[in-house]
Amino acid sequence: MRLLEVKNLKKIYTTRFGGNQVQALANVSFSVEQGEYVAIMGESGSGKTTLLNILASLDKPTSGEVFLDGKNIVTIQDSEISAFRRDNLGFVFQDFNLLDTFSLQDNIFLPLVLAQKNYEEMNGRLKPLAKRLEIEDILPKFPYEVSGGQKQRAAVARALITQPKLVLADEPTGALDSKAAMNLLKIFSGINDLGQTILMVTHSVAAASHANRVLFIKDGEIFNQIYRGSMSNDDMYQKISYTLSVLASGGDDVE
Amino acid sequence: MTLNKLFYPKLAILNLKKNSNTYVPYILTCIGSIIAFYTMVSIHSNKGLEQMPGATNLKFILFLGIIVIGIFSVIFLFYTNSFLIKRRKKELGLYSILGLEKKHIARVLFYETAFVTVISLTLGLIGGILIGKLLFLLLLNIIHFKSPLAFQIDYYGLLITMGVFLAIFGLTLLTNFLQVKLTNPIDLLKGGQHGEKEPKSSWIVTLIGIISLGIGYGIALSVKTPLTALLLFFVAVVFVIIGTYALFISGSITLLKRLKKNKKFYYQSRNFISVSGMIYRMKQNAVGLANICILSTMVLVTLSTTVSLYIGQESMRRDFYPLDVSIVGEVSNTDFAEINQIVEAEKTQANVEIVDELSFDMAKFRAFREGNHFKKDMVEDESTDALYYQTVSDLVIIPLDDYNRLTGENKSLAANQTMVFSVGDNYGEQTIAFGDEQLLVTEELESIPMDFKKTQNVGHVYYLIVKDDAVMTAIYQAMKNDDDPETTLHALMFNINGTEDQANAFSANMRSAVTQSSPDIKIQNLYESLSELYGFFGGFLFLGVFLGSLFMMATVLIIYFKQISEGYEDSERFEIMQKVGMDKTEVKKTIGKQILMVFFLPLAGAMVHVAFAFPVITKMLAAFRLTNTTLIFLCTLVGVVVYALVYTAVYLLTAKSYYKMIK
Repeated sequence: MRLLEVKNLKKIYTTRFGGNQVQALANVSFSVEQGEYVAIMGESGSGKTTLLNILASLDKPTSGEVFLDGKNIVTIQDSEISAFRRDNLGFVFQDFNLLDTFSLQDNIFLPLVLAQKNYEEMNGRLKPLAKRLEIEDILPKFPYEVSGGQKQRAAVARALITQPKLVLADEPTGALDSKAAMNLLKIFSGINDLGQTILMVTHSVAAASHANRVLFIKDGEIFNQIYRGSMSNDDMYQKISYTLSVLASGGDDVE
Repeated sequence: MTLNKLFYPKLAILNLKKNSNTYVPYILTCIGSIIAFYTMVSIHSNKGLEQMPGATNLKFILFLGIIVIGIFSVIFLFYTNSFLIKRRKKELGLYSILGLEKKHIARVLFYETAFVTVISLTLGLIGGILIGKLLFLLLLNIIHFKSPLAFQIDYYGLLITMGVFLAIFGLTLLTNFLQVKLTNPIDLLKGGQHGEKEPKSSWIVTLIGIISLGIGYGIALSVKTPLTALLLFFVAVVFVIIGTYALFISGSITLLKRLKKNKKFYYQSRNFISVSGMIYRMKQNAVGLANICILSTMVLVTLSTTVSLYIGQESMRRDFYPLDVSIVGEVSNTDFAEINQIVEAEKTQANVEIVDELSFDMAKFRAFREGNHFKKDMVEDESTDALYYQTVSDLVIIPLDDYNRLTGENKSLAANQTMVFSVGDNYGEQTIAFGDEQLLVTEELESIPMDFKKTQNVGHVYYLIVKDDAVMTAIYQAMKNDDDPETTLHALMFNINGTEDQANAFSANMRSAVTQSSPDIKIQNLYESLSELYGFFGGFLFLGVFLGSLFMMATVLIIYFKQISEGYEDSERFEIMQKVGMDKTEVKKTIGKQILMVFFLPLAGAMVHVAFAFPVITKMLAAFRLTNTTLIFLCTLVGVVVYALVYTAVYLLTAKSYYKMIK
């Protein structure tokens, strides 16, 4: 089943006084199947963050359409967009974006509280999730009291607790040391195995090598994609590295 | 190398410009403090003021002002400086990482402080000279000082002000050096992110807060007499200050944490964000908010009392002087016929009218009351001040025929009978005993021509109407003290109708003429002490308004700094909440509500403080013979309303810059 469909997405930024126009996305089309784990790679300035922001309904495209589960999110009313985001999307950010006014537990509860769920239900959802992510012991702590890896796992819990259709991850390993990063990627693979659809934007070859499919974006366009098929993570890693170097050297002769 | 020399001052200027949204208010505060300090010093040392009657009182009041402003400047400039340097830790850490050594950073800090000092002192002193003159004229106007006084530049005052503020700036620089020296670059980089030191919230501190606030309020409410009010007011103030800090720091958080424990309440979308947000804010701001609360209370109390005193001085005067003039002399050596002639002559010459004239015999002495007994000596051996004022009584004895003549009544008394008029509470006993003599009280009078009832009087005054001169003299001879006059007295009292200038001229001429004819005579004249009273109450009003504005400035600045620092942090939080699925308008609403609560909490606290302080203030003002509670209430009310308006205006202005920040 097709969960996400992106059609002819275009985004042009105009500088404040209307002078220069910068094309961030030229013409992007792709789709994500239910239960897929997709990584989007590209250099800085390739347009991948813009793409993610549009998918996250934080930004509007200049033209083009985005369907999530058959619903066009580009045309959603501003007044409904927050609720839509809350109910359908889970976010994992590079810098965690945990609120330091809340304990980890309350940070995880935040989207549910906004959705006006009662405490028993929230707690019921949190228990197994916290166990899986190994954060049960640190739930009462505040973000500034725990390590980066722990923060990111709490952020993942916050993204998953709403049982979203799609998890959007923006450089989730960007601020983590390699051990914590590996740990997080294992967690992503684990939740993906349980059927969670994940779309991850990343720089890191290691991170991308865990995905089922890697999309490469360059100058605002989808340039290439690699399917895992039966490849191991190491093979994936090799293939991605090769593609990236081709991409960097001009990208004329990809097979 | 030459480039290096210019590098640091240039960098310093750049830094000040870059941080102008915090440094401009800081410099303005410095200028304000310098103006205030210099103005007080220069007015205090003004030579012309010394010619004024009652100058010592006024000078003492002004000297108090100098001390208060001095202490205030030290505390406040330190506070703002520490705020500024905390905000800039990240920037300083960055310099450190870019390769500036600590001594180089210190050099930049030195130049920054030097620039701030030069700008503040120059503008402050110039401002002091200009505004000082203006304020001086205002003061002269308030104290009704007619002859024009020159307000010269006070070079000595300039030097003192410069010395004091150079010392303050030097000390702030030293603490900044210490801050840089004691921390490493990484800490400096993170410095801006750490909130203010998290106050420990514990039940014990909260309990201490509740108890000391209770004691403070209790004292304020239980004070019965003006004298105890004067004695206990500052004790109550100390308790209330301790209580305020403890409750803001700990009580607020303890309360919020309790709310948080209530899961049903806490996990509601509205309460969830505001409760945890409030906990976070209170942790960061408790001390600052307690400061605002106490400063606000001080502004309100100072303004309302001084304004009440100033407006109420007319009625207070009447307490001291039931009639404008009273001339009292011994019957044996005073020729009242002659004095009457002198008064008549001077009256015509000064073109004033004399009204409400009273002329009567009397005896006056001081005794100590114990039940219905009046004794020459103190009742107790271990004499305490409070007991002294509780028992000491002034007794005035007037023969019945004078009373009947002055009132037009036709009362009669036997030799062992008396009528009593008490200035304070009614006398309340059936008899009055002086040694072995005992008089029966036939009546407690409600009014008497030469005096009137006063509420909350300090000490007691009893007027006794007795059968005749013989009874009066007998009592007087038995009760009089060694330094009292030999014989009984005659009194002449009247009011003057005319302009203040006419009355002044009349008073001066009459005094010289009367004392020439009878040197031992006692004259009490309202007009002669008028300028002293003006100086006293005017001085208070001046100081009150002056300090009130200064405290207000401090409050405004603290609020402004708070808003700015909150704005920076909230902009991040604002973004995150939106990403997690909160509406823009919703976020704005919750944050706005929190800010509103945080900033109006101190104002509410101050209002409660003032409400509880009101009884003790009225009692205290009663010690100055201001007993018009309605007037005090109105002054306080107007003060509170005006202050709340100013506070709200400041809040709205700073909220604007806050919302700009989170956009």
